[in-house]
This record gives sequence, C-alpha cells and structure tokens, in this order.
Amino acid sequence: MKKERKQNIKKLLWGSRGEGGIVRLTAMYALLAGISFIFLYPLLQMIANSFMSLEDLIDPTVIWLPSKLVFGNYQKAIEVLNYWKVLRVSITVALWPTIIGVASSAVIGYGFARHDFPGKKVWLFILVAVFLLPTLLMSIPTYVIYNELKMLESLKAYIYPALTGFGLRQSVFILIFYQFFRMVPSELCESAEVDGANSAQVFFKIAIPMVIPAFIICVLYSFVWYWNETTLAITYFKGKYTTLQIALSQFESIYRHLFPSGNIGLGSANEMFNQGVLFAGTTLSILPLIILYIFTQRWFVESADRAGIAGE
Amino acid sequence: MKKERFSWKFYRFYAEKIYPGLKRAVDFVLKYSGIKYLLGRFARLPIKTRKAITGYLYILPWLVGLALFGIRPIIRGARMALADFAGSKAIVDGDTARTVFIIDGFSLAQFKQLFEKNPDHVEAILTHLGNSLLIVPLVLVFSLLLALLLNRKIKGIKIFRTIFFIPVILLSGNLINYLSRYELLTVPALTGEQIRGFIAFYLPGSFADVILAAFAKVVLILWLGGVQTLIFLAGLQKQNRQTYEAAAIDGASPWEMFWKITFPALFPLMMINVVYTTVLYANLDNPVSAVISGAIAAPDYGRDYASAVAWILFAIELVVIGFYLLLLKLANKRYQ
Repeated sequence: MKKERKQNIKKLLWGSRGEGGIVRLTAMYALLAGISFIFLYPLLQMIANSFMSLEDLIDPTVIWLPSKLVFGNYQKAIEVLNYWKVLRVSITVALWPTIIGVASSAVIGYGFARHDFPGKKVWLFILVAVFLLPTLLMSIPTYVIYNELKMLESLKAYIYPALTGFGLRQSVFILIFYQFFRMVPSELCESAEVDGANSAQVFFKIAIPMVIPAFIICVLYSFVWYWNETTLAITYFKGKYTTLQIALSQFESIYRHLFPSGNIGLGSANEMFNQGVLFAGTTLSILPLIILYIFTQRWFVESADRAGIAGE
Repeated sequence: MKKERFSWKFYRFYAEKIYPGLKRAVDFVLKYSGIKYLLGRFARLPIKTRKAITGYLYILPWLVGLALFGIRPIIRGARMALADFAGSKAIVDGDTARTVFIIDGFSLAQFKQLFEKNPDHVEAILTHLGNSLLIVPLVLVFSLLLALLLNRKIKGIKIFRTIFFIPVILLSGNLINYLSRYELLTVPALTGEQIRGFIAFYLPGSFADVILAAFAKVVLILWLGGVQTLIFLAGLQKQNRQTYEAAAIDGASPWEMFWKITFPALFPLMMINVVYTTVLYANLDNPVSAVISGAIAAPDYGRDYASAVAWILFAIELVVIGFYLLLLKLANKRYQ
C-alpha cells in the first residue's frame, strides 16, 4: 500500500513512459521559456530602447522599462527614413519579384519533378551548385552583365532574373517545389492524361491545387528575403529605388544632415541620442514583416510541419 | 426586380458572331504557320519522348536564365579574378567620353596583391574560416536540440514555435549589424564574470574558450538556426512512433534510441543543414564580405580584386562544408 502510494507520487513528479510528470514538464517549460527569452532579447531590448529618452539611455540604472514613454524617437525616425513613401517603394520592390519568381519556380520545379528527360541529373546538380556560390561572388560580374543588358536602375534587375529562376536564392524555391510536386500521387496525373487532359491542364488543375502550402512558404520567404536585401538593392538600383533597408543603412548620414544641431552637444550624449532614433528606425523597418508574420504564422508553422522542405 | 448582371443578349452575340470568327482565325493561323502540323507530329511521338520534350519546355525559363545570369557571371568572375586589371575606364572619343568595362591581362596579380600586400585582409579571411568552423557545428547542435524540444506534444508548444521562427523572418544583414554594434547579440547574464570564472575553472582551457565564444554569440547562433530547426522538425515529425515503442520494449535507453534511430534518420538532413548554414553565414555580413564590399568601392582595389577575394570566400565555404560532411560520414559509420 505504502509502496504503491510512493510509486504514484513518483509517477506524478517524474512521469511514466511517454507522459511527462510535473518536474519534467516544469523543466521543459523553463527551458523553452529561457530559450524564448534569448531569442527575443535583442528585439525586446531594441524596442525598449526605442522608447527611451536621452536621459534614460545614458542612465545605466534604466535597463528595460523607460521612466517615461517617449515617442519623439519614432517621429524623428519617420522623418529621417521618409517612412511612408519608402514603405510603398519597399513593398513594390519586394512584391513583384516575389510573385513572378514564385510562379516561375513552380513551373521549373514541376518540369524537374514530373518529367524524365536526358541530362536531368546534370541540370539538378547545377541548380544546387548555383546555390552554393556566394551572392557576393556572383554579384560583381552580374553587375557588369546587367549593365550590358541595360537592366540597372530599374526593377528589371530583380524581375528578369526572377522570371528565369535566377532571382534571390531562387534555387531553394525550385527545390521546394520539386519536393512538393514529387509528393503528388502520380495516379492522379496519369488518370487525367488518360481522360485527354494535356500537360498544361494537368499542371494547373491537378498539380497546383495540391501544392498550395509550397506556394505559401515560398511567397513568404521570397518576400522577406527581397525585403531584407540591402547590398544588391544598393548596387542594382543606384538610388532609383530607396527601400527601407537602404534608407536604414544610410540612416546616420541622413540623420546628421537633418538634425545638425545634435552635433553641438556632448559627443557621447549625441551618440546615445542617435541610438534611440536608430533603434526606432530599425523597429519601423521590421514592423511590416512582424505584422505579416502575425497574420501568416499559422500557415508558416503548420506548412513547415508537412515535411515539405525536408528531403526524401 | 433585381437587375441582372449577366447580359444574355451580349452572350448570344458573342456565341454566334464573335466566337466562331475567332476560332476560324486561330485555326487559320495555326494551319498556315505550320504549328498545327508540328502539334500533329508531336502527338504521334512515343509517350517517353513527349514527356521529355514537355519537361524541357517547363525548365526552359531556367535554362535561359542559366545562359544569361548563371554561366556568364561565373566565367566572367573567374576571368576578372585572374586579370591584371578589370574595371571601368573612361575613353575619350573625339568630343564624347564614355566609360567602357575592360578586362586586361591574365595573371595571378590579384591573389599576389592579397597575400603579399594586405595582411589585414588575410587576417579577415582566417577569422572568417575560424568563425565558420566554430559556428556551423554549434548552429547544427542547437537547431537539432530545439527541434527535439519543439517536437514534444505539450500544451502551448504552438506559441513557442511561433516565437522560435521569428528570426527566420527578421534575419538580415542590417539588423544583425546594428544589434551586434550595440552589443545586443550577447545576453549579459550569460557572459557575466561569475559564469566566465565558473567555466574557465571547471573546463580545460581550449574547450572553455570555445564555450565562452559560443556564449558571446549565443543569440546569433540561435537566430541563424531558424530554417535548420524547421528542416529537422519536419524530419522528426516524419518518423515512425512504432519504431521507438518497439525499441523501448526491447529495453533501449533514450540515449541509445537517439543514436540508433533518430541520428541515422536525420543524417541526410544534417548534410543539408551543414550546407545551408555555411552558405547562410557566408552571405551574411562577415569579415570577408566586408573586405569585398569595401574593395569594390575603393579606388586602389576595384572589382578585379574583389572577385579574387570572393573566390576565396567560396573556397572557405567548400573547405568548411567538406570538413563537416566528412566528419558526419565518419560519425554515421561509427554508429551504424
């Protein structure tokens, strides 16, 4: 009797096979919470700092919560970034290559996944090899070639490569579609073909509706990657299009230009003040992505579960 | 009476007059341009040949891209790295001046310049090599641990998943730059004096250094691992529960189960993740990419020198990938 009770308590605390006990669960939640904190620490700190006044930033005793909320940093950041206009440019620059790139990736991925043709292995190998080349290595001669093709200083520099499967890290998307299309049961396509459907009909009416999760993953990643791209955007657009990331990378020089009076004050104080506005600007630049993530995270996390990205 | 949105009158006009006309026009064009003949021939081909042709039609855009934006930059980049001079030059032609891009000479001058005249650039390369060798396995281990944690079916795991994938969305050069400049990538609690002293006291020297370096970069390591965690998680969820149950009945410990069941199953994914992490880290802001971007703009280096350094960045990638793939292969053999 006593032994049984002891065992019950033990089971409650440590859990039996397959089910966690209280101690185990607490430990796991503590671990998860700890890691979450480390994950979010830089973001939280950045957001907290962006609301701090100059005094709070200098004061070493103020770490997390500002003594009073200051929105001035955001006002200044919006002014420095020219936020609303630049936001619109950013969305245009990220959205068009995304739509075109994902569409072309789907077509190319379908070609690789559902057809046997001589030389397929070689092409697939080249597809992966292109992904391995560092972006910087490719970008230097690519710049010269775009210049020859007169694609610089316009959206063409993003759209033409996206159309032909050579957009930003597009090999990844082609491979994702390749995996997803291979999982479509071949009986479905074959029976449609027997019924007299041609290849395009099979592709649009049967294959595409079955890989909607792949479209969601690819659109999200693609949009985010185009949104975050800075170096390529600067070299290709040469100031014709100023995206949020470009504006952010030029933040300090514009800031000093717009608010020269700040330079008169103490050197370190000015630096700190700059920091608050800079953090406000950085927060503003990632805010649209966070909003996008809040709306799409359900699909994002779930579609990742469907074992699509993972290899066979 | 509700107004009908669909006009039958127009539809009848379309069906009787416009559509047959259009159809006749299309047929006419198809017939006399020879397309109809080709399509007829195509339909009579064996099914295998037909599949091959349609397959090539689907990947045609990519082949065009490969010719335009794939192969050409690679050849051009190699040529630039091996040139005496490659860059824009102003040519005055009578009254008009224009800039032309020229590639001149064929030698190892750029690499010579790098290794003989720029010790700080060589140092940047070595730092990057060391960093990659340190960060790749750490990212791999952390993302595997995270995936194992997130694979548990406990309440609220969805919230944690949502949090853990935020960095995947936000990871960009600018953000990492600012965060590291203001030291937000190190969590003060983990690099405090007490922990430092504790680790240095209890662990052997070089190992403690590695751990401390990892602690200093903990946020970066966790942030870099977002996609890899997703890949591992997807792999884990594919695994068969029954295998584990059978192993448990046979008396296997969780440790044994991990090495005998989980590890071999995740092995191909690990290879993918080694490659992905290395490429990701090479494309983020690192000492070498700073040298390259600096060299493009600088008047005394230029694009030729930048290309040469970029090829070295690629070589580092290959070395790191090769080293860890070999190590993984050996580990897999050992536990098989």
